[in-house]
Amino acid sequence: MSHVDAVPLGLIAEEHVDALAAGATLLGSGGGGNVALAEQLVRHAVRRRPVVVRRADELAPDAHVVHVGVVGAPDVLAERLVDPHDMAVAAHAVAAQTGGRLDAVGIIEIGGLNGLAGVVAAAELGLPVVDGDLMGRAFPSINKTTMALAGGSAAPLSVVGPVGDTVVVTRSSAAAAERLLLTTAGAFGGAGALALYPTSAAKLTEVGIAGTLSACVALGSAFAGCPARQGAELAASLGGTFLFEGRVDEIRPRDGVLTGSITVTDRATGSAARVDLLEEFLAVTVDGITRACTPDVVVGIDPTSGVVLSSGQVRPGQMLSLLSLPALHHWPASAMGVVGPRAFGLDLELEGVLR
Amino acid sequence: MTGLLRLGIDVGGTNTDAVLIDGQRVVAATKTSTTSDVTSGIVAAIADLETSSGFDPAQVSAVMIGTTHFINALVEGTRLTPTAAIRFGLPATSALPPLVDWPDRLRAVIGGHSYLCHGGHEYDGSQIADFDERELREVVDKALQAGARSFAVSSVFSPVNAEFELRAAQVIAEVAPGAPISLSHDIGRMGLLGRENATVINAALRDLADQVTTGLSQTVTSAGIAAPVFLSQNDGTLMDVDYARRYPVATFASGPTNSMRGAAFLSQQLDCAVVDVGGTTTDVGILQSGFPREASSDVAVAGVQTNFRMPDVLSVGIGGGSLVDGDAAAPLVGPQSVGYRLTEQALVFGGDRLTATDLAVAAGLADIGDRDRVAHLDAAFVRAALDGIGERMGEIVDRMRISADPVPVVAVGGGSILVPDELVGASSVMRPEHHAVANAIGAAIAEVGGEVDRVFSVSPGQREAVLDEARQEAVDRATAAGARPGSVRVVDIEEVPLAYLPGNATRIRVKAVGELSLGGDHHA
Repeated sequence: MSHVDAVPLGLIAEEHVDALAAGATLLGSGGGGNVALAEQLVRHAVRRRPVVVRRADELAPDAHVVHVGVVGAPDVLAERLVDPHDMAVAAHAVAAQTGGRLDAVGIIEIGGLNGLAGVVAAAELGLPVVDGDLMGRAFPSINKTTMALAGGSAAPLSVVGPVGDTVVVTRSSAAAAERLLLTTAGAFGGAGALALYPTSAAKLTEVGIAGTLSACVALGSAFAGCPARQGAELAASLGGTFLFEGRVDEIRPRDGVLTGSITVTDRATGSAARVDLLEEFLAVTVDGITRACTPDVVVGIDPTSGVVLSSGQVRPGQMLSLLSLPALHHWPASAMGVVGPRAFGLDLELEGVLR
Repeated sequence: MTGLLRLGIDVGGTNTDAVLIDGQRVVAATKTSTTSDVTSGIVAAIADLETSSGFDPAQVSAVMIGTTHFINALVEGTRLTPTAAIRFGLPATSALPPLVDWPDRLRAVIGGHSYLCHGGHEYDGSQIADFDERELREVVDKALQAGARSFAVSSVFSPVNAEFELRAAQVIAEVAPGAPISLSHDIGRMGLLGRENATVINAALRDLADQVTTGLSQTVTSAGIAAPVFLSQNDGTLMDVDYARRYPVATFASGPTNSMRGAAFLSQQLDCAVVDVGGTTTDVGILQSGFPREASSDVAVAGVQTNFRMPDVLSVGIGGGSLVDGDAAAPLVGPQSVGYRLTEQALVFGGDRLTATDLAVAAGLADIGDRDRVAHLDAAFVRAALDGIGERMGEIVDRMRISADPVPVVAVGGGSILVPDELVGASSVMRPEHHAVANAIGAAIAEVGGEVDRVFSVSPGQREAVLDEARQEAVDRATAAGARPGSVRVVDIEEVPLAYLPGNATRIRVKAVGELSLGGDHHA
């Protein structure tokens, strides 16, 4: 079963929050920031009033959509928190550059914190949120979007700091956008509210990844509904593939943009798996054969507790269960230089990937 | 006797255990019932020890107490002090004010007084906003009028810079002299909401801590013991009674920690799995270098999210009181249990419920109660049920252990007879003497610790110097907490570069421990 074909949601209400958070955690592929923080914000927002969900093709073709979220260091967000008001300010700052209209909020990446941040921003602005996103998971760079691949610009974009400082970038090349975001977030103490990729609903219908918000909630519901949160049974109920379970032997941390890895071994069979990672898990190679790699989603689970682990939570010696979920988007072969393993400096035999 | 006796006391929900330790030797041990006032149970336990060992109270050099009293008060929502939660963070953080996700009932019990002030810091130590003393004075006045009697103060990035919390403490002390003040940088780690919640919990326990610590000190004194009194902390180290009066929240996870450390002491194993079999559950934890491995995720206590590090413990619903059903082909054990009514309801004690303890007696593993009352049990069924218990315990040990090699297993607790001599993943299974009072022993042997957990800026080439600085700070903190200078060693060091931040910001966490300084001579 594919969660892309999940029953479309009309609303995000309080009853959906648990599943939304669980789904976004899975689609974070081991990264994507602190979902628990955004979960609290969504819960409070939708308690006041549920957020209307619309697919891009249900909006007027000329409706103005701005994608909203947060950028920066998870540790800073954990201290300074996320202010929905700042996201609204950023969205308006971008809308002001494109004629002033703002009709709906888009989700930048459905995986991790930003999967929920778009819903929080929509609640703050009193606007519908688009049922879709631009990544189909979490990625560590703002250029790994369907919109960028289609030639769309992230700019005009805006970053807003905690005391209301607002930076607006009117034009930006794809290469500069990432650096501008990180530098600006750095100037704002390491994190900020973010709005970018302004577009029309018609354009978004064409290049966005439709239905991923509903898919995320469906995925989270399936996870919550699976009593045995491990192994093949869980993979099956999530529409994914069970890859490996074993004990973590070695963790080699990432070094900046150079990937790190986790080595997992199964004593009973002597098999070993390597998980390549940055903030997100990028690929799983079992006994020399790459079984899953980006843009597919890799999920790491602690089989003793059933908890989905972020890459930073994995510790030497613990049991780790690995599964993959199909990407929520069928990326064309031409996109592999951006979202495939080579984009992260991984030289994996793609032909060897078993699907 | 050497005059260096340590008295360890564990006040649990059901039992109060006490042990006397002389160096590496257990001199005497006892188990009595916990009383609602806590202290009379302790008086009874000490009297028991005097009767059985004839020890001289004047020979006791230190008293160590582990208690679940404070965490129970929070779980029950009783005996809590009306508390004001004041956070410095505006204009940031307002979307999630203090107490925002507390369970309604608990928030109501402590008064629900939540306030935001301007201020706090960024990770690099710069200010978010200036300190506004007038704003704070108004908040404190409002809180007092609303009935708050204890104050919890938090500030964004206070583990990096505690200035706002310290200045607030001065102002509060002026406006509300004598009111207890709890500051978040003294209590929790990085992560505002978890640290703040722990601070509010601490503040709400301050009146109770006053009563309990005073009661404990008086009880010990009236037993003729002049030695200092310490309480066990979450990480297995000690705090003196005055520190405990100010930081009661630091006792929350001391129960499982003491049990594991006691097991390590009794078995002389520093790296092992500890299987603690109680009446209803079996709890398995891992000791590394003598300290419990900590859980990787944060824990909620009574529905409140905190960022305490708790011991990583995995439980399975098998204990001495577990009900047994099924047949030899498919025996069923637990998770239902007769619990503390074991001595009325188990077959061997004249009851009519078949329990795991009855199986052990029938198989000849234990000789308690009336063996004849289980003679009718089918031997194949008994064997199959006990094998099933062993398999499930082995599974948990196998999941918890940290290396590919089998680990030594230490079995403790009243039901430890259910742990088979051979266990999957275990190199050996030990059932040390005095295992039933492992908690109290863990308290008695505890050391003193100091910890650093904050963000450092690590310039290129300066890594070693920064690590040294952090190590020294942890060692200094251990010494300040009462460790004997010279005995302090660093037991854990963790270094995590913060993602997506310039300036090489690195979160460094160092833990140091040392022997308790007892003032007088110390036999090495």
